Amino acid sequence: MSRVSDPTRRNEAAASFIGNCLLLGGIVAATLIYASGGGSSRSALLTSMLTNLVLVIGFHIFIGNTGVLSFGHLGLASISSYVMALLSIPLARKAVILTAKAPFGVRAVHLDARIASVVGIAVATLVSVLLGLVVARTSGLAATMITLALLFVVLQVADNWKDLTNGTGGLSSVPRLEGNAWPLAGAVAAVAAAVWFRTSKSGRLALATREDELAASAMGIDVFRPRLVAFVVSGAVVALGGVLQTQSIGSLGPRQFAFEPTILIMAMLVVGGMRTVTGAVIGTAFITFGKEIMRFLGDGPQFLGVRWPKVEGLPDLFLAAALLLVLLTRPGGLMNEFDVGALVRRLLERFRLGQPTSTAVVSDGHRLAPTDASLVADDVGITFGGFTAVDGVSFNVASGTIHGLIGPNGAGKTTVVNLLTGIYEPTRGRVTLGTSEVTGSPHVRARQGIARTFQNLRVFGSLPVRENIAVADLVATEYRPQRSGGPGVDELLALSGLSDLADRPASTLDYGNQRRLEIARAAALRPDFLLLDEPTSGMSETESLAMVDHVRKIASAIGAGVLVIDHDLGFITNICDRITVLDQGRVIAEGTPAEIQRDQRVIDAYLGSSAATSVDVPSDDQSSL
Amino acid sequence: MLVVDHLTTKYGALTALRDVSLQINQGELVALVGPNGAGKTTLLSSIVGLLKPASGSVTFNGTNTTGNDPASLVAQGLALVPERRRIFKDLTVKENLMLASVTQPKNLRVNRLNEMAALFPILRSKWDVSAGYLSGGQAQQLAVARALMSDPKVLLLDEQCLGLAPTMVDVIFDLLVALKSQGRTVLVIEQQAQRVLGIADRGYVLRTGSIVAEGTGAELLADGQLFASYVGGHQ
Amino acid sequence: MQLIQNLIDGLGVGSTYALLAIGVSMLFGVMHLVNFAHGELLTIAAYTMYFLRDRNVSWIIVIPVAIVAAIALSVAVEFVAFRRVRNASAFTLLLTSFAVEILSHSIWRIWQGSKQKTFQAPEIAFTTFTVGGLTIEWWDVISIGVAIVAFSITGWVLQKTLFGISLRAAAEDFDAARLMGVKANRVISSAFAFAGLLAGVAATLFLLRRGSADPRMGADPLLKAVIAAIIGGLGSLKGAVIGGLALGVVEVFTRSLLPSGIEGLTDAFVFVIIAALFVIRPQGLFNVQSAERV
Repeated sequence: MSRVSDPTRRNEAAASFIGNCLLLGGIVAATLIYASGGGSSRSALLTSMLTNLVLVIGFHIFIGNTGVLSFGHLGLASISSYVMALLSIPLARKAVILTAKAPFGVRAVHLDARIASVVGIAVATLVSVLLGLVVARTSGLAATMITLALLFVVLQVADNWKDLTNGTGGLSSVPRLEGNAWPLAGAVAAVAAAVWFRTSKSGRLALATREDELAASAMGIDVFRPRLVAFVVSGAVVALGGVLQTQSIGSLGPRQFAFEPTILIMAMLVVGGMRTVTGAVIGTAFITFGKEIMRFLGDGPQFLGVRWPKVEGLPDLFLAAALLLVLLTRPGGLMNEFDVGALVRRLLERFRLGQPTSTAVVSDGHRLAPTDASLVADDVGITFGGFTAVDGVSFNVASGTIHGLIGPNGAGKTTVVNLLTGIYEPTRGRVTLGTSEVTGSPHVRARQGIARTFQNLRVFGSLPVRENIAVADLVATEYRPQRSGGPGVDELLALSGLSDLADRPASTLDYGNQRRLEIARAAALRPDFLLLDEPTSGMSETESLAMVDHVRKIASAIGAGVLVIDHDLGFITNICDRITVLDQGRVIAEGTPAEIQRDQRVIDAYLGSSAATSVDVPSDDQSSL
Repeated sequence: MLVVDHLTTKYGALTALRDVSLQINQGELVALVGPNGAGKTTLLSSIVGLLKPASGSVTFNGTNTTGNDPASLVAQGLALVPERRRIFKDLTVKENLMLASVTQPKNLRVNRLNEMAALFPILRSKWDVSAGYLSGGQAQQLAVARALMSDPKVLLLDEQCLGLAPTMVDVIFDLLVALKSQGRTVLVIEQQAQRVLGIADRGYVLRTGSIVAEGTGAELLADGQLFASYVGGHQ
Repeated sequence: MQLIQNLIDGLGVGSTYALLAIGVSMLFGVMHLVNFAHGELLTIAAYTMYFLRDRNVSWIIVIPVAIVAAIALSVAVEFVAFRRVRNASAFTLLLTSFAVEILSHSIWRIWQGSKQKTFQAPEIAFTTFTVGGLTIEWWDVISIGVAIVAFSITGWVLQKTLFGISLRAAAEDFDAARLMGVKANRVISSAFAFAGLLAGVAATLFLLRRGSADPRMGADPLLKAVIAAIIGGLGSLKGAVIGGLALGVVEVFTRSLLPSGIEGLTDAFVFVIIAALFVIRPQGLFNVQSAERV
C-alpha cells in the first residue's frame, strides 16, 4: 500500500486534517451549546451526528474519489455491527435472545466490547475486500447494482437467519458507549483516513480515473487497483461507523442499516458535496440540524404565541427537499470541490512570508538521453464489421525523431493511434517498440513507453494543473524506473509556461494551455514515444507555429521520439523529420517534408482533384473515437 | 435567404469559429471548403441551432433564428444532412423518411414519400429494410432524401462523399447539380474542394475558424489561399 | 405440473415488472435517466384507488382515473425536476430521480400517514379455476392477458405511429431526431406520458390484488423493474419485456426451490444471481448495440 511521500503532499494532508478537525470542533461546540438547552433527545443529537459523520465520510472515500455510485455500503455497517453485537452481548442475555440452535457457538462466546468491535470491523473489511474485487472490475451502473445487491442480501439474511440474528426481533443489550468521546474519536479517525487516502498514491490515482477513465489508462493507470483500495478503506470506515452507532443505541435490528439510513447518509453526502471531507462534514451538520429544526416544528411547538399543529414526517420532507433542491441548483453540493484545507494552507502561507517558489530551468543534467528503440508499425490493420478502417499500414519512427502521420478526413489517422495505444486491438499486423512487441490494454502499453494526447482534450479537469502532471510522474516513478531522472514536475510546468497556473483546476485553463498541459502530462510519463493526436486542432496560425517549437522542446527534454497526427500539412511540414501520408486507410506516400509537399498523390488526396482509389463504406462508421 | 453575421462559437475554452460572416442567396449552390478542423461542421451546427453561438447572428428568410431549436428551423424550411449521415440504423428506410415528414401537414406526408420513392428508386426497393443494413452509398441517399422530406427552402449538406466509392461520389455530385437545377438553395461542405468549386456558384474558404477567402468557384480555384490552406506553407 | 403452475405464476408477476421496465428502459433511451421515481406512479395510482373506493366509486371509473393520475404525475415530474437536469451526467440524473422518490415518500407520509390504507379488492382478484389438476388464479391469467395486450399496443404505437418512430429515433440519436424536426421537449414529455400509462396499467394489475396503499409501496416493484430493464439492456424495450418476465419466473422458481424456512431469502438469491450476471456481462443480457430495439 501507499504512504504520503513528498513534503507538498504531507503539507496538504496536514492542512486538510487540521482544517476539517477545527471545523468539526466548531460544529461539536455548537451542538453542545444547543444540547445543554434541554432534553435527552437533544443530548443524543451529538452522538448521532458524529456516528453518521463517520458513515458519511466512509461513503465519501469511495464515491467521492472514484465517481462510482454505491448504494450498498451500509451493508458493511450491518455486518460489523452484527459481529460486534453477537460477540459482546452478555452471555446471560444471549441465552434469552438466541435459541440453542445458534450457529458458530456464539451463545458461548463473550468478548470485551472493544475487542468485539475490532473483530466486527475486521470481518466487514474482509467482506469489502471480496466485494471490492468484483466492484472494481466493473464501472457505472453495474457497480452500483452490485453494491445494492450487498445491501439487499445482508438485509434478507439478517431478517431470515433467525438462529443467528433473532430476525426482526433484533439484538438488544449491546454494551453501550457512555458519552461522546468514542464517537468523536471515531469521527476524527474517519477524517484522518479520508485525508490520508486522498493524498495517498492510490487516492491520487483514483481521482485521475474519476476524472477520465480513458485518459487515466493512457497514463498507465490501471483502474482496478485504486478503485479496490478506495472500496476497502471506505468499507472499513463505514464498518467503524456502524459499530459506533450500534453501541451508542445499544440494540440492533436488520433495518438499522438498510434503506432509510442509506437515504439519510446519501442526502448528507450529496447536500454537502461528495468530493471533499469538508463537504461530508458540512452536509452531515446541515442535515442533522435541519432535521432537528423540522422535528421541533413538527412536534406542535408553542411558538410566536401560537400552538402549531403536529405534523408527522416533516424531517423526512426536509431531507428530500434539500436533496432535490441541491441537485437541481448546485449538483456538486454546497461545498462542491472546496476543502477547508485549502483555506488553512492559504492562511499559513500568508504568515510564512514569501516562501520562494522554485523557478526551475532545465539544466542539461535534467535531460533524458534518447532511447535507442524505434517504434514500428508492421502491416497494421483493423476491420470493423466489414469496414476496413486501416488497411495494412507500416511505418518506422526512429528514436528521437519527429514523425508525422497525416491524411485527409477519414483517412484512419486516429484509428492508427488507437491501434498503437491499445484502445483497439489490430486485426492484422503488429506493433513493436525496440525489440518487444507492444500489446495489451492501454495502461500496459503506456507503461511500456507509449504516451499519448487526445484530439478532443482529456485533461483531469477538476484536479490542479500540477497534479495532472504529478500523477503521471507518480506512475513513471513506479513503472518506468529505467527512464529515471530528467525534468521533474516543476520543470515540466515551467517548460509549458504553466508555473503560474499550477494550482488552478485544469478545466479553467484556456484551450492552448490545456493542450500544453496534456503534452506535459504525457511527457511526465517519461515515454520512449509521444503520440500527439492533432495537437493544433482549434488553434490559430500563430499558436500552431508556437506549438512546433514547444513540441520540439518537450521531446528533446525527455529524449522521446514523437509521432504526431495532424491534418494540417503546414504544421506537419514545419515540425517533422519524416512524414507518412494516409488516405482511405492506406499509406500513399512517405518521405521528408519537402518530398511530401511535392508529391502529386498527396496533393490530390487533399484537394480531391481526382477521385483516387476509394472504398465503399457501410453506414456504421466506427472509426472515430 | 440565409445570412450569417459575425458568428463566433466556442466549445468551452476552444473558440471554434471566429467572427464568421457569409450569405447565401435564393437558388444558389454555395460551397464551403477548408481543411479538416477548420470549423465547417461547427458552422453548420451553429446555423441550425445544435450549438449556441457565443455572439453574432443567423438570419433565415428574413427572421433572426440565432440559437433557435433545430426542430423549429426544419419547420421553417432549413434542413441539414449531417456529417456521417446519422441515419437511424434501427429504423427502416421508410420509417427514416416518415420521421422526417413530422413537420409537414398530414395530407402531404404520403406525397412526399412517393416523391422520394421516384427520386431514389434504390431506396424504394429497400423500403422495409433496417437502415443499418444499407451500403454507404444507399445510406447517403437516404440521408439526403430524409432531409428533402421536409421540402426545405435551404438545404445544408455536410461532407456527403466521405468514405464513398468513386461511382457513388459521382452520383452525389449529380444530385447536387440536380438540386440546383430544381431551384433549391444549397450550402455544401465538401472535402473534394476542386471538384465542388467546379459546380458551385460561389464558395467560401474556412481556415482555423475564420473565412480566409470567398468568391466564385473559378476565382477561388485560381487563388493561392485555397492551395495554401490545404497543403500548408504559412505565409 | 408444479412447473407449469410456477411458470404461470412467474409470468403473472413478471408482466407487472415488464410493464414498469419498459418505461424505465424507454426513459433511459431518450435521456439516459435511470428513473428511481418511476415506482411512485404506483403509489399515486394506489392512493387514487383508495380515495375513490372509499367513496364507493365504481371500478369502471376508478381504474381509468388511477391510470390518468399516473400519467399526470409522470409528466409533471419531468417538467418540474428532470427538465432542469436534462444535460447533466447520468450520475446526477440518477440521484435526482432518487431525490424525487424520497420526496414523494415523505409527502404521502405527511398527508396520509405511514400506515397502510386498505381498500376492498374486487372478487376476481382472488378466484381460481382448475384445469387438468392445475389450480390457476384468474388474476394471473388476466395479468398475462392485459400485459400481452399492452405489449401489443406498445409495439403497434412504436412501430406504426409517427410518435413511436420519433421516440425510437430520439432514443437512437437525439440530435439527429431534432434535425428532422422532432421537438425535444415534446418527445420527452410524450415518453414520460407513455411510461406513465404503462405504469398505470401495471399499477392496476398489481393493486387490485394488493388492495392497499402506503407511502413506500413503490420502492420494491421499482427496484425489480430497474433490474429487469438492466438485465434486458437499458434502452432496449424488447429486452425490458424479456427481462421483466424472466425476473418474475426466476423469482417464483427460486422461492419454490429454496428449502422451507429460508424462502425469505428469495430476493437475496435473485440479487446474487443478477450481480453475478453483471460481472460477466456488464452491458446486460442482450447487448443493446447488437440487439434490435423494439
